[in-house]
Amino acid sequence: MAYLISEDGRELLKDVKDFCENEIRAQVKEYDESGEWPKDIYDMAIEMQLSMMDVPEEYGGLGLSHIDQAAIVEEIAKADAGIAVTLNGNGLALKPVLIAGNEEQKQKCCDIIMNGGWGAFALTEPDAGCDAGNSKTTAVKEGGEYVINGRKCFITNAQVADFFVVTAMTDKTQGTKGMSAFLVYKGTPGLSVGNHENKMGIRTSITSDLILEDVRIPEENRLGEEGTGFYTAMKTLDLARMWCAVIGVGICQRCVDESAVYAQQRVTFGKPIWKHQAIQFMLADMEIRTQASRALCATAIDLADSGKPFTTEASAAKCFTGDSAVKNALDAIQIFGGYGYSREYPVEMLLRDAKIFQIFEGTNEVQRMVIGRAVVGSHKI
Amino acid sequence: MEILIFVKQVPDDAVEVRLDPASGKPATGNIDKVANAFDTYALELAARYVEANGGKVTVAAMGPKGTDSMLKNLLAVGASKAYLFTDPSFETGDENAIAARLAQIAKKCEAENGAPFDLILCGKESTDEISGQVGARLAEKLGLPFVSSVIEVAPAGDKLVAKQETEDGYVKFETSMPAVYTIAKPGYDPRYPNIKAKLAARKAVVPAFSAAEAGVADAESFVELLGYTEPPKRQAGLKICEKEAADTVAKAMEILTSDRVL
Repeated sequence: MAYLISEDGRELLKDVKDFCENEIRAQVKEYDESGEWPKDIYDMAIEMQLSMMDVPEEYGGLGLSHIDQAAIVEEIAKADAGIAVTLNGNGLALKPVLIAGNEEQKQKCCDIIMNGGWGAFALTEPDAGCDAGNSKTTAVKEGGEYVINGRKCFITNAQVADFFVVTAMTDKTQGTKGMSAFLVYKGTPGLSVGNHENKMGIRTSITSDLILEDVRIPEENRLGEEGTGFYTAMKTLDLARMWCAVIGVGICQRCVDESAVYAQQRVTFGKPIWKHQAIQFMLADMEIRTQASRALCATAIDLADSGKPFTTEASAAKCFTGDSAVKNALDAIQIFGGYGYSREYPVEMLLRDAKIFQIFEGTNEVQRMVIGRAVVGSHKI
Repeated sequence: MEILIFVKQVPDDAVEVRLDPASGKPATGNIDKVANAFDTYALELAARYVEANGGKVTVAAMGPKGTDSMLKNLLAVGASKAYLFTDPSFETGDENAIAARLAQIAKKCEAENGAPFDLILCGKESTDEISGQVGARLAEKLGLPFVSSVIEVAPAGDKLVAKQETEDGYVKFETSMPAVYTIAKPGYDPRYPNIKAKLAARKAVVPAFSAAEAGVADAESFVELLGYTEPPKRQAGLKICEKEAADTVAKAMEILTSDRVL
């Protein structure tokens, strides 16, 4: 394991393992089919404070190291990636507040999460995904208020969130420099949530549109200065990509675990299939991808923790892990053969779960653009 | 309400234990050590009791030095005090000796807490040796009322009502306090610790006492353990693989008849 976790971290990890074994693994199959949000599992996760790992200690948080946290997130993701994505949604919503918010805003949002609440980060729009600067949502200042209008989509946790970080254009003529970020609380008039997206994978996470119709919020709900919203969102995504990669490693590892066991049980041509070199090589490649993905995550986390630039490393971790999760899931299905294609067996879900890791938090194409530009930037002639 | 729970550290019972051919003893060195499951049920029952009725839960264990790690974990799930009793003399002895030591340890815990216990709980058995005797023997040594296989405890004025699980249903007993109960599996599972409580508990220092420091005198054993044997391996079964179902049945009948089963 590339995460050098503390002794306390190991003890915590045992609890999380027990929780995943007893409360998540067997139950998620049913939720995967129904698409229902497993509130009972999330209530237990809140009791264990697994939804609060991103709250800094100075705002009442848990004081976990990021490496210990990564090992815990991976463990949850191994049991179910959708649950890890939901819990991580709180971190995603908190990050822009911690990056750009004032003390009062930070404490308020941290308190919401420490009290078992949820947050959501609302950046994506129907016409502005990776191209976030093309945002159509507007925030117009009227007296001491902003009036926000627009539609956000694919918002994780929107249906359950107590607070939203919403990006909107305060000055369209300025392009990305005309974007600002705002805190909008649940129950604000004009704020409504669309239907639950019927997704291919990570079906235990809830994803919906967020509709803002003349949503009036006080000026003090703005995060940072006007025009800094795009910068805040990009900084948020740097961190978010790292954690999204950590979840992806969980899928990679689960594929290895399932395949290694099955390859010893399944017999063809008179021997367990792992004794056929073709299967051994597949298992080896899956393991190599998993170890490499985890090492990339550990590197990005270490750099971020020590205050050094980590954008390229976070993109590399996200991109490689997303690709690896899909490849590992495909290999796992191949090792399971016909059974792998059956919904009776666990590995087909892993492929459906894995695919989103090449898409969300910036597609892997965008990650390669980020990395490619950085490579040229550091070799200027 | 002051509750004391005696907890035994055992090898993780999810792992199959084999005998070490060299020593002839169970090879448990590489198996994770955990709190005995029935003792954790006792802690959850006690934690729920004090949450509803007030009070404090103390946990105590006899064991080697590393046992404090298990006790720390229990501080995150309902115990507020923990004591470890560690001494080479504790490593041997039968259930009578163990119960005699625990009776003296209970007194030491009371002295440390500065308050007497109203209730002492043990798991109904440990998942490693499974003798199921220690709780009852402890009650005898302390001269206290005893109920075994309890799954629920409720206050009744200055008394307690203990619901005992039986094969057919349950029996309710009323006892005075203090009392000793052993705990079976209630209708709920032990709680998971939250991260903050766990991290705080991991930082706690568990006071440890030797036999001399705890004032525990040598205890007599009446039973000598002669050795361990593994259960016999199951014989491989017979496979009947005829093409037609009728032939399979005929073959099975033939075997059953020739072996004089029928």
